[in-house]
Amino acid sequence: MKPKLIIGIIAIVGFTSLLMYNFGESISTYTTFEGAENQSSAHIPGTWDEEKGAEFSLETKRFTFYMKDEDGVSKKVVYPKPKPNNFEDADQLVVIGEMRGDIFYANEMLMKCPSKYNDNDPGQFTKASDS
Amino acid sequence: MLGILGKVLISASFSASLVAMVFYFISANRDEEKTLKIGNWLFAAKAVFLVAASGILMYLIFQHQFQYYYVFNYTSLDLTPRYLFSAFYGGQEGSFMLWILISALLGFGLMKWTRSPYKAPVLFFLTLTQVFLLSMLLGWDIFGLKLGASPFRTIAEEMPNAPFLQTNPDFVPADGSGLNDLLKSPWMMIHPPILFVGFAMMTIPYCFAMAALWKQKYNEWIGPALPWTLSANVALLTAIFLGGYWAYVTLSFGGYWAWDPVENASLVPWLIGTAGIHTMIIQRKSAIAQKSSILFAILAYVAVVYETFLTRSGILGSSSVHSFVDLGLYNQLLAFMLVVTLVGLGLFFWRYRELPSPDKEAKILSREFMTVTGAMLLLILGSVIILGTSSPILGKLFVENPTPPEISFYNNWSMPIVMIMAVFTVLGQYLFWKKYDAESLASALINPLLVTSAVTIFSIIMGDVRNLYYMVYLFCGYFAIVGNAWVMVRLALQKPKLIGGSLTHIGFGMLLVGILASSAYNEALVDQKTANYNAAVERGEVTDEQGFKVTQKEEMLVLNLDEPVLVDNRYTVTYEGYELDNRVRRGQQNYKIKFEPVDGGKPFYMIPEVYPMLTSSSQENIQWSVDPDVRTGLLSDIYLYVGGSSYVQEQNDRIAENSMMQNVAARDTVDEEPKVQTLTFNPGQTIDVGKFKIRFVNYAKTDSTGLPPNTTIGVRAEVELIHPASNRIITVDPLFAVYSQNGQSYIYSPPAMVSEFDLEFQFTQINPQENSIELTVTGLEEEYEPEWVLIVADEKPFISVVWAGTFILMAGFSISILRHWNRERKKNNES
Repeated sequence: MKPKLIIGIIAIVGFTSLLMYNFGESISTYTTFEGAENQSSAHIPGTWDEEKGAEFSLETKRFTFYMKDEDGVSKKVVYPKPKPNNFEDADQLVVIGEMRGDIFYANEMLMKCPSKYNDNDPGQFTKASDS
Repeated sequence: MLGILGKVLISASFSASLVAMVFYFISANRDEEKTLKIGNWLFAAKAVFLVAASGILMYLIFQHQFQYYYVFNYTSLDLTPRYLFSAFYGGQEGSFMLWILISALLGFGLMKWTRSPYKAPVLFFLTLTQVFLLSMLLGWDIFGLKLGASPFRTIAEEMPNAPFLQTNPDFVPADGSGLNDLLKSPWMMIHPPILFVGFAMMTIPYCFAMAALWKQKYNEWIGPALPWTLSANVALLTAIFLGGYWAYVTLSFGGYWAWDPVENASLVPWLIGTAGIHTMIIQRKSAIAQKSSILFAILAYVAVVYETFLTRSGILGSSSVHSFVDLGLYNQLLAFMLVVTLVGLGLFFWRYRELPSPDKEAKILSREFMTVTGAMLLLILGSVIILGTSSPILGKLFVENPTPPEISFYNNWSMPIVMIMAVFTVLGQYLFWKKYDAESLASALINPLLVTSAVTIFSIIMGDVRNLYYMVYLFCGYFAIVGNAWVMVRLALQKPKLIGGSLTHIGFGMLLVGILASSAYNEALVDQKTANYNAAVERGEVTDEQGFKVTQKEEMLVLNLDEPVLVDNRYTVTYEGYELDNRVRRGQQNYKIKFEPVDGGKPFYMIPEVYPMLTSSSQENIQWSVDPDVRTGLLSDIYLYVGGSSYVQEQNDRIAENSMMQNVAARDTVDEEPKVQTLTFNPGQTIDVGKFKIRFVNYAKTDSTGLPPNTTIGVRAEVELIHPASNRIITVDPLFAVYSQNGQSYIYSPPAMVSEFDLEFQFTQINPQENSIELTVTGLEEEYEPEWVLIVADEKPFISVVWAGTFILMAGFSISILRHWNRERKKNNES
């Protein structure tokens, strides 16, 4: 084997392992409020807890609502942006952020909105900041 | 009826392609002219059938035949002709049709311009891809095995279980559900067609590479394939640019790029195609890079098909903002991808030993080494992006139910790669035109390096760049611009036709600098108080009521009507009201936001829009969508959208109230007491209060009648009470007087009555400093709420540089197309 070839192989293997390692670090799994403890960027799917309402406060400039995660646990979510336009319509939400005490601080929010006419249509997620 | 004809035509088109493929195969195998001709006729027949089917679909759309699901789902009666036209490719089925139509058109070009022995095999592979694409449109049901989703299926076929169809199977909806409001944009007219031109063209290098492997002629294919690949590149780049610009100026994505899988789907083929262009160009100059040219040509198209698979199979459903809906084509798309990949790579490795290798290793300081390395870096960048985009599949290696990677994954990997690329573009360009050794190259680069350093230092100081990594990045970007410009100027003086490459690399460098400036130095425009708050958040000094550190900054601004706010110490921003505009979209509000530069520059208006999304709103719930306004400048853009307003809130409250009233007669508490409100006016100002408008005209002269003795100040206000319903204006002049009695000052403000409406006006206060007065009004039913608007405004520096870089890239590629195409044409004329 030529030394150049060996160096090349080592470089490729090194690069690939580093890339895959970093890729593995930068993805996470969808979780629940309970599982989000000590995670700085947790993705939690859930539904809006309609009975407890939702409000954008002009004072604090924050949108707050309660979300039920997949375990049925309802927690307060604070989102530092205006209320997304299709919020009420979303049949599933994904909040991305951090749990602090009893409140979830979402930096990003995705919404899955149903299609009105077609039950086969699973709908699509939209980024809250995009709508 | 027409629908059945449409289905038949698509099936005929599919069958014709299938048979054409067989004839092309025979022709390619035996180098036979006769079978090639038959193949061409079948190819043409396929195209005719497909054009006819597209014509029918277009006709159905324009005739509002809502019994067809595609027409129902993507159009409605109120669409203007141009959006009806773009609804043709608004859905997945139609966009496949458009793709095949363009691909068929390119097929005729290939018939005309391709020389043997490549002609038959190239057309064979092009037809192969079309067979797969056409199969997506078949809508055949073979013993329960569904093949394709027909654009001509009816509502009854699509939703057999829908209740309204079970009661009446012949039900035809009166109106369709309409094109998504976000797609009602002029960009929708041009972005998708150009994207599919790019996808279809990217097929051609693949076909040529496969033909080269098949016919074992590994060098000559570069000639005809290079202009096609360059054109595919320009088309894709244009599509990427249009998509980015669309996202930025009308979709309020907040920027031109978000590493969304659908965006990546067009970027990755572009990167790999560009890698292929590099190796093809170097292969023309010396017998190196044959293997990689073929490999890149295959991979570029594999990337197109793989990204098509990702975005259309429903796999990305939960991670992408705008991937397509799953049509049940998963298996077909998977088969398409596997065939393209396995046939491509299979043939490549089959022939691998035969493929010519260079006689000797290239020196590091040679154009061969630099160009091939550049191509490899492009491939690596493409692979990193594919990896990130594939998170729903590859992420399963690490976790169950994987989320998409964080944006930083893309940024952290692409930054160093493009930095190395930037340096290599310069070295490569120098070595491309002249031989250098290390010493002579270093001395040739001294001047460009000096200029680059000067420009970098200047930018660092002007832009207050503190991040060391950014400084190095900027240096690399500027080096690409300066170094390549150096080469270009020298070339332009001698052979101006050859500047394509160096011009392209200048564009690349500008793109790098522009991307950093506009994304890393993007700044929210806020008032001083918010800015102080954000600074405190950054220092970690703000805690919330629970005692946790606040990390989220406040990046929006509430503007009350006619109350100027100083923003960023540079602009006085005033909200001057909204106007309802029904011309484009019903219920659209255009907000007038005035910006006055503090330094005395010319004032300007930003007019962001808010409109109800008609396709997804209902009686009980309005969904609002926004259209941002972007003010483009040479140095920076201002990007602004409305996050909420008193008008929107009123509309929502009204609807909420209406639906409450339907549920319960829930108005048990009626306020019997007349309400008292205090309103502040500037001279000339009008305030809306429910069914009245109140206008403070000005101060009025006061005569001594009605004044208490010892009055020190006595002023009357001329106030107009406007009642638009009855078209009446009533003028009152309430008095404000200060008098002294027993050494004490007293205010005297007797109420002025308006008996028709049972109202009382009292002039209760003067604020000389603000030049305003206060009126207390008793008896108004509705409470006055100030009109406000919530805006999110960003300043994005040097977006113009990003666009300029893109345009220069396009121009550079176009110059290269002309050069390589001209040479090809000469060869065609000779033979």
